[in-house]
Amino acid sequence: MMTEDQQMLHDAAERYLRDNYDFNSRREVVSSSEFMSEPHWTAMASMGWMAMPFTEEQGGLGFGMQECAVVAEQFGRFLVIEPVFDSVVVAGALLTHEGVNTPDAVIEKMATGEIHIILAHAEADAAPSVTNTRALLQPTESGYRLTGEKVFVAGGGSATHFIITACLGEAFAYALVERDARGLTVEAYKTYDGRSGANICFDIHIQASALMASGEVAINAFSRARARAALIASAEALGAMDAALGATVDYTKQRVQFGQPLASFQALQHRMANMLIEVELCRSLVAAACRAHDNSATDEWALILACKVKTANAARHVTQEAIQLHGGIATTDEYIVGHYFKRVAALDSWIVSRDEALETFIAVVDAA
Amino acid sequence: MTDYKLFRQGVRDFLALELSPELVRAGELTTSVFSDFEAALKWHKILHNKGWVAPEWPKEYGGTGWDINQRYIFQEECKLANAPSIVMMAIQMLGPMLMHYGTDEQKSFYLPRILSAEDIWCQGYSEPGAGSDLASLKTSAVRDGDDYVVNGTKIWTSMARHSNRIFCLVRTNKEVKPQAGISFLLIDLNSPGITVTDIVSLDGQIEQCQVFFQDVRVPVANVVGNENEGWSVAKYLLEFERGGHNFTIDIKKQLAKLRCQAQSVKARNGKSKLQDPVFRHRLAEAEIEAMALEQTELRIKGTLSSGGNPGALSSLVKCAGTELGQRFNALSVDAVGQAATPYHPDSLNPRYAGKTPAPGYALTAMAEYINNRAATIYGGTAEIQRAIIAKQILKL
Ligand SMILES: Cc1cc2nc3c(=O)[nH]c(=O)nc-3n(C[C@H](O)[C@H](O)[C@H](O)COP(=O)(O)OP(=O)(O)OC[C@H]3O[C@@H](n4cnc5c(N)ncnc54)[C@H](O)[C@@H]3O)c2cc1C
Repeated sequence: MMTEDQQMLHDAAERYLRDNYDFNSRREVVSSSEFMSEPHWTAMASMGWMAMPFTEEQGGLGFGMQECAVVAEQFGRFLVIEPVFDSVVVAGALLTHEGVNTPDAVIEKMATGEIHIILAHAEADAAPSVTNTRALLQPTESGYRLTGEKVFVAGGGSATHFIITACLGEAFAYALVERDARGLTVEAYKTYDGRSGANICFDIHIQASALMASGEVAINAFSRARARAALIASAEALGAMDAALGATVDYTKQRVQFGQPLASFQALQHRMANMLIEVELCRSLVAAACRAHDNSATDEWALILACKVKTANAARHVTQEAIQLHGGIATTDEYIVGHYFKRVAALDSWIVSRDEALETFIAVVDAA
Repeated sequence: MTDYKLFRQGVRDFLALELSPELVRAGELTTSVFSDFEAALKWHKILHNKGWVAPEWPKEYGGTGWDINQRYIFQEECKLANAPSIVMMAIQMLGPMLMHYGTDEQKSFYLPRILSAEDIWCQGYSEPGAGSDLASLKTSAVRDGDDYVVNGTKIWTSMARHSNRIFCLVRTNKEVKPQAGISFLLIDLNSPGITVTDIVSLDGQIEQCQVFFQDVRVPVANVVGNENEGWSVAKYLLEFERGGHNFTIDIKKQLAKLRCQAQSVKARNGKSKLQDPVFRHRLAEAEIEAMALEQTELRIKGTLSSGGNPGALSSLVKCAGTELGQRFNALSVDAVGQAATPYHPDSLNPRYAGKTPAPGYALTAMAEYINNRAATIYGGTAEIQRAIIAKQILKL
C-alpha cells in the first residue's frame, strides 16, 4: 500500500510523463546531439523531484527512498533519460552523509536543479566496487592536486559537476569538481539506452574545501550511495519491465496470426503470466528494501542486495520475453519495447552490478 | 581417407595469406549475422577466386566436393581467423533450391552470378501481416501476357539495401487454400515500381529493409518450380535455412571472446572477472550447455554423412543453439559491465581508426547482445520451432 504522499508523487509523475514524455519526443532528444532535454530537466526540478531526498533544513522535501522509488519506477516506465536520481540520490548521498563537508549552497542548487552532479568512480578495466583507485589526490600548499582518469560515467554527458573518487595516501576520498575546471577534459558520448556517458581525464588543482570526504567517512558514504543506487536501479527496472509486460499484453491482443490474436495462444498466455509473476515479486522486494533502508533495519543490506539481484534477473527475463513475444517489430529502433530491454541492460551494471550484489549478498547473509 | 589435418593446415595457410588486417577487423567487429558489407564482398570475391565460396554446393555447380567434416573444418577455421561473414542467403538457400527446382536456363544464368557475387540476393518472404503465419502473405502477382504484375510489400528483408535481386513468395491464386496459391518468384530489384526503405534496428544499425512493389512487371519465366507450388519450394528452402548451420562453431568463438573479456576486467580483490566465483559458475554452466550442443551437432552430422535427413532435429538445434548464443551474449555484457554501454557506431566500423570510448575487448558486447535477440525470431521463431518439434517428433 502506498502512503498518501507516495500516491501523490506517483500520480503527479505518471501524469507529467504521460502528457509530456511520449516515446516519439524522447526519440527526438535521443537522436539529437543533446544529452538530455533542458526543458524536461527544468520541469522535473519544478515538480520537486530533485528536492525529494534532502531534508527540509537542506531545502529538500525530506522524503526517503520509498518515495524516490515511486518516481524512479515511473522513470523506468517512461524511459526517462535525464539523470535526476544519478544526481540527487547517488551524488546526493555522497554529499549529505554525516561528516561530509558539503557547503549548503551546493545541496540547495542540486535540489533546485540548477546544477547536477555525477559520481565519477569507475576506472578502466576495474570493477566498480574497487576503492583503491588509481586516481590520486596529493596535498599541495593551497589544497590538492587531483590526477587520473574515470570511465563510463553514466550521466556524464550533461553533468555540471563531478564527484571524483581518488586515493589520498592510503585513504579513499572524493572531491567535488566543476565540469569546466581547468585541466579536466570530458569526452562525452551517447549510450545504448539513449542516455549519456563520459570518460574524463584530469590533472587539476582543487582547494582544500573541495575535498568532500576521506577515510572512513568516505567509505561509509560511498557504501550508502551504492545502496541507494541499487534501490533506484531496481525501482527503474521494475517500471521498465512492467511497462514492457503491458506493451506485450496490448500487442498480442491486437496482432493476428493464423487467424487469431497471438494472445489467444495458451503457450503465450503462460509466458505473459510468468512475466507478471516476476514483476510482482520484484514489486514486493523493491518496496521492502526501500522500507528497510529508510528505517535502517537490521536486514537492510540483505534486502537491498536481494532486491538488486532479483530485479536485475527479472527485468532481463521480462524485457527479453517482451521482445520475443512481439517478434520482428520489437527489434526495431522505432518501436518502444526493445528500449526497455536496453535500459535494463544498462541498469544491470550501473554503480552496483548484479554479480557484485550477489557476491556481497552471500557475504552479508553468511555473516548474519 | 581424407587427411583432415593436412586439409586444416591448407585452410589455415590460405586464410593467413588472404585475410588482410582490414578483413580481420571486419570479422572481429561483426555484431550480427552480417559483417560490414564492403569487407564481406571483398572476402566473397577472394573465396570465389579460390573456388571456396560455396562448399556446400555439388561440385558440378561450383562447389568444392568436400565432405561434411572438411566443410566443418573450413567454417571453423574461417571463424577462428575472424574472416568476415559473407552474405549467405543465395549460397545457402536460393542456390540449392534452384538446383532442385530451377530450369536449365535459370540454373545456368543465376548460379554462376551467385558464386561471383555479381548478384546479391535477399529473401522476400515476410510481410507486415504475415510473419509466423507465412501462408497468409498478400503480395500478389497477377498474370498479364508474359509478365506478372506484382503489388504489395515485404518486410524485414535483410540486406535488401545491398541487393540487386530478391527471391519472393507471392500470391498467384486467391481462390484456393492459402498454401496452394503461392508462387516462388525471382525479381530484379532495379525493376520500375520497387522502393526499398531502411529499418533501423534496436542496436542502431541498418540491416533490414522494407520493400514495396507497385505494379512491378516480372517475366513469367522467373517463377521457380510450378506456378502455385511455391509453398513446397519455400519449405524445401527453409530446411536449408535452418539446417547446415553449425552453432557450435559460433559458440566456441563466443566462449573464447568471453574468456578474454572476463580476463580483462578486474574485480575488487584484484582478481579478474573470470576468477570471480559468481561469474565463473554461470560461465561454467553455459560451457556445459555448449558441450551438450556440440555433441548433438556431431550426432546429427553423423546421421547426415550416412545420408540421413535431420528433419525436425534442425529445429531442436536451432532452439538450443540460438538460445545458448543469447546466453553467452548476456554473459559478455555482464563481464564487461558499464564498458558495454557507450553507443558509438564508428567503433564498429572496420575502417575507423579514431578513438573509441570503450576498450577494444568491450566494443561489440552490447551490440551483439541487442542484435542477437533476433536470432530466436528470424528463420522461424523459437515458438514455431517448438511447435514443429511437438508435431513432428512428439507427434502431438
Ligand atoms: C533480424 C531479422 C532479420 C530477418 N530477415 C528476414 C529476411 O531476410 N527475409 C524475410 O522474409 N524475413 C526476415 N525476417 C522476418 C522473420 O522471419 C519474422 O520476423 C518471423 O517469421 C516472425 O514473424 P513476426 O515478426 O511477424 O512475428 P509474429 O509472427 O507476429 O510472432 C510474434 C510472436 O508470436 C509467436 N507466435 C506466433 N504464432 C504462434 C503460435 N501459433 N503459437 C505460439 N506462438 C506464436 C511468435 O513465436 C513470436 O514470439 C527477419 C526478422 C528479423 C528480426
